[in-house]
Amino acid sequence: MNTIFKKTLKFALALVVIFTAATLLTDSVDISDVSTVHLKAEKPWVGADEYAYDPGQADTPEKALASKINWTILIFVILMILVLANALDISKYTAKITGRETVNQNNVNKWVFLLFLILGFAGVIWEYINHGKLILLNDSSSEHGVAYDSMFSITLILTSIVFFITQFLLFIFSFLYSYDKNRKALYYAHNNRLEIIWTFIPAVVLTILVLRGHQTWKSVVYAEEYHKGKINTIEVFAYQFGWKARYAGQDGMLGVADYKFISGTNELGLAVKSEVDALLIELKEQIADDQKTIKNLNTTVLDGLMADYAAADGVKDYKSMESIQKEIDAVKNGDRLDELEESIERKQKQIERILAIQNDKKLFVSTFTPASMDDIIAQEIHIAKDSLVTFNFRSKDIIHSAWLPHFRAQMNVVPGMPTKFTFRPTKTTAEAKKEFGPEFEYYLYCNKICGVSHFNMKIKVVVESQAEVDAWLKTQQTPFTKKPEAAPIPAIMSDSTQMTNDTLKRVALR
Amino acid sequence: MSTATIDSHAVGHHGDAHGHHHKETFITKYIFSTDHKMISKQYLITGIIMGCLGMGMSLLFRLQLAWPDETFPFLESLLGKWAKGGKLDPNYYMALVTIHGTIMVFYVLTAGLSGTFSNLLIPLQCGARDMASPFMNMLSYWFFFLSSVVLMSSFFVETGPASSGWTVYPPLSALSKAMPGSGVGTTLWLMAIVLFIVSALLGGINYITTVLNMRTKGMSMNRLPLTIWAFFLTAVLGLLSFPVLLGAGLLLIFDRSFGTSFYLSDIHLNGVGALTNSGGSPVLYQHLFWFLGHPEVYIILMPALGISSEVISTNARKPIFGYTAMIISLLGISFLSFIVWGHHMFITGMNPFLGTMFMYVTLIIAVPSAVKTFNYLATLWKGNIRFTPAMLFAIGLVSLFISGGLTGIYLGNAALDIQLHDSYFVVAHFHLVMGSASIFGMFAGIYHWFPKMYGRMMNKTLGSLHFWLTFISAYLVFFPMHFMGLAGVPRRYYQFSLIPEFGIWMDVNVLITVAAWLGGVAQLLFIYNFFYSIFKGPVASTNPWESNTLEWSTGLKHIHGNWEGDIPTVYRGPHEYSRPDRELDYFPQYEKGNGEPEHYHGPVTVADTSYDGKKEKASTVFFSSFAHLFALKRA
Ligand code: HEM
Ligand SMILES: [Cu+2]
Ligand SMILES: [Cu+2]
Repeated sequence: MNTIFKKTLKFALALVVIFTAATLLTDSVDISDVSTVHLKAEKPWVGADEYAYDPGQADTPEKALASKINWTILIFVILMILVLANALDISKYTAKITGRETVNQNNVNKWVFLLFLILGFAGVIWEYINHGKLILLNDSSSEHGVAYDSMFSITLILTSIVFFITQFLLFIFSFLYSYDKNRKALYYAHNNRLEIIWTFIPAVVLTILVLRGHQTWKSVVYAEEYHKGKINTIEVFAYQFGWKARYAGQDGMLGVADYKFISGTNELGLAVKSEVDALLIELKEQIADDQKTIKNLNTTVLDGLMADYAAADGVKDYKSMESIQKEIDAVKNGDRLDELEESIERKQKQIERILAIQNDKKLFVSTFTPASMDDIIAQEIHIAKDSLVTFNFRSKDIIHSAWLPHFRAQMNVVPGMPTKFTFRPTKTTAEAKKEFGPEFEYYLYCNKICGVSHFNMKIKVVVESQAEVDAWLKTQQTPFTKKPEAAPIPAIMSDSTQMTNDTLKRVALR
Repeated sequence: MSTATIDSHAVGHHGDAHGHHHKETFITKYIFSTDHKMISKQYLITGIIMGCLGMGMSLLFRLQLAWPDETFPFLESLLGKWAKGGKLDPNYYMALVTIHGTIMVFYVLTAGLSGTFSNLLIPLQCGARDMASPFMNMLSYWFFFLSSVVLMSSFFVETGPASSGWTVYPPLSALSKAMPGSGVGTTLWLMAIVLFIVSALLGGINYITTVLNMRTKGMSMNRLPLTIWAFFLTAVLGLLSFPVLLGAGLLLIFDRSFGTSFYLSDIHLNGVGALTNSGGSPVLYQHLFWFLGHPEVYIILMPALGISSEVISTNARKPIFGYTAMIISLLGISFLSFIVWGHHMFITGMNPFLGTMFMYVTLIIAVPSAVKTFNYLATLWKGNIRFTPAMLFAIGLVSLFISGGLTGIYLGNAALDIQLHDSYFVVAHFHLVMGSASIFGMFAGIYHWFPKMYGRMMNKTLGSLHFWLTFISAYLVFFPMHFMGLAGVPRRYYQFSLIPEFGIWMDVNVLITVAAWLGGVAQLLFIYNFFYSIFKGPVASTNPWESNTLEWSTGLKHIHGNWEGDIPTVYRGPHEYSRPDRELDYFPQYEKGNGEPEHYHGPVTVADTSYDGKKEKASTVFFSSFAHLFALKRA
């Protein structure tokens, strides 16, 4: 046996082993177990509002079947490879005997191309049918989503046609025109008319697509201009790692909010005078603390750390020892000092900026309005069916992206730059549950990498009737006022012209 | 300037300039070599190593996606604290994804692909004794090498490598408290990229200069193989766009280390408080990044397209269909690629009107791309196709290019991108069109020019097997991802099992991972074949593929200066296969035919620098290239 053949055999064997291993492995993770394993596993980075992986959903017969089919495909592929390996090797032997190596290998490859074409198309069609069922198409829960879906369908149809034609030609040419010693290829270097035709056709098709795309795009991004009238405005606030919704209170106005005002008790940084005053005091205290630490850095602070270290050493707690040692090093090499000085500078700047607002009469009046006093802060977003809704996005820290796949809506949430998305939900959660299953909920997902828990940053969205939204709002917190008893809370709204004027003002959102 | 346009008769005799050969030591020959062929091999080997690392990373993080609740003890022994109990830490997952993307895009498919084949083929196919500046060429490689080392060193810092995605968007990448990887890891990432850009610029200037100035007698621009056109335009793209990334990177370094706020504003960070930065814009970074980022995908793709043009024409034994149209398409793509960057930013909150403009120009790009595809198909039609491994990969490239290119029509449509942005659909799209297609181009190049590089042949059987496995794996891995994206699965997620809706994709995730590992195993075949053949492969003939281009006229032995005697004259275009008036089905560019003029007449741009770069200063050659830019037409 020649060495290459041996190598191939070994390789085939290795494949079989790997494959068996993989099968065993996945058998042991029968998907239905996942939930329990997962819940037991300790994951410190996972937020508290965990949604358990639903075992009921995991085990449907369809799903089991899909899984089986996937495995069958895989087995098939591997078998095909083994056959191929053998065929190619046989060709090598005949090559030795006949000296016509190219031709034989060529033949094998030519047939594999044909096979690949057939199986490939079968696979693609299988995907279209089976996984195609799972995609979000023609089931949109928003008004513009219908236009979106039709744009998508047109593109899908056109590109699929091109896909099947061109791939077919590619593989069939490879099959038909494989090498033959007795044949000579056609010397055919160009044909201007042909080239003009196939420049022109894509150009026309793309023109159609781009014009329609333009229409669709305009109707989505300029929704406010397209739909005159009342718009319900909700602020959607993103932070590492979660979302909050802010609704206007009784006055129907969202108050001013600013990152400078954010504190432990004022998570969204609303312009509430008492909160901001408390923050100023807190900042000053922290500065004083930091200054004290700096003064005692090389005396009491260092001594304290040394003592901690000794204590940890006593009980042989190596982990704490390591981290304490790091702190000691930081003190010794000046890192800690730099850090403290930086922190003081940062806080002084913050105070300065807050005071700049407070001391400017005009700014003060426009910032600290009663509007922020009765704003409602919620852990869920409730919106009314068939009403026009604008989400005003604000980020506390870094870029996030708010994605509502079922509404065909997405917009980045950028610190220092207000963004928004306007749409009209057309299907209530209850209606959607009928369509997608009893467990279904709408979610807004984070879709811009934002750190360690990016994969678990979502907020529930509920679509219901206006009356239900109003009722729900009454149950929500207004952190800075006592809730007025039984006073009716009107829908949160402002009108569109006011909105656009305001986007320029970075901090203020009404 | 002696290299200005000169009558071709005047430069026949220079052979005697190469009589003397320096004594070569191991160091000058293999390490600090200034010979373009050796530098090309250095690029290739480094690229292959980086490729293995990049692929290895994807195999590791695919485990997490397929079996989020399993533990793999071997991960802990491999990664230590980053995979406690055999389960990848989410921060480390992000780091692996980030470095995987960075390595694949920059280190494998920019440096590994362009660096290898531009270096190898530009002098050989243009008919030059070496690059315009061999010394700069050597520097280019060593900057690349250094850059790779710096990048990989970030795996050994305590807080781990950069992990904010290969695009390293600030503020996430700018604030070390935002995620661990944004500390020292990102500093190293930025340093590595700065070094990389220096390398890319040194290389690019060289490629451009050589192509414009140092073509042999008769090698007018319209007789250049399409490989050279592709490398040339790639270098132009790099030269014009990498400096912008450098600018973006420097500003990011300032923001990170010197308290500026180019990209930062209104930030209140957990555990830190309100930052002092104000007035900057994170979106500015995205504009700057994608001003490189989009041309970058063509920097990756065009060399692969060039290589496949050459390989397909040679092995179909047919002239490439529509040579001129191919060049015009490349020119069109190159130009357009500079004005479409905004299609990565439709939903960043930038003015929707800008979105409209970017949508229009983006969809125009599809036209030259379509033309290229049709021309490939027409080239295969009625060909006499030899399925060498290189040819298999070139055909595979066309298939992947079609599959991935078509989904670009969705993503370039601003309206559709609202929903598709950052979903798995995008991952499927760019892996097919940029990732897989270009890797296939690279493999085609390696199999095709291996005999040129190492004087031996690679094993064909293993080559075919390698191709089929890789091809199948590529489709199995990336095709289902389209559907995941369309069903609303976001990318850059560490785990899907927390979101019940994504549960239905668990078995698909398993399939993808197994297929990816299958692809990984297939690459072992290649690695084995490659290294085995370097030493033990059968000795190649001088023109094993019966090809037309100049590189096959040098003989097998690598010598400084490439040709023993005079550089051959070129009499015709590169793709004269199966000419009806010839018995043989090929007609080398350097072979004088009946009835053809003794010499190519008319003004040609020729610069005959001696191989060791002594005769012409690099600067002379470089500046004279500008003169030739304007004389292009005449050639
Ligand atoms: C071995 C085959 C490969 C596999 C299995 C693979 C798989 C993946 C996966 C699963 C992701 C993460 C997607 C996400 O969550 O966003 C990813 C990201 C990426 N891959 Fe690959 N990939 C492969 C080869 C390549 C190649 C050849 C390229 C060359 C362009 C490439 C470029 C990228 C880039 C740019 C990213 C994005 C990184 C980021 O999100 O920052 N990959 N890959
Ligand atoms: Cu996120
Ligand atoms: Cu782009």
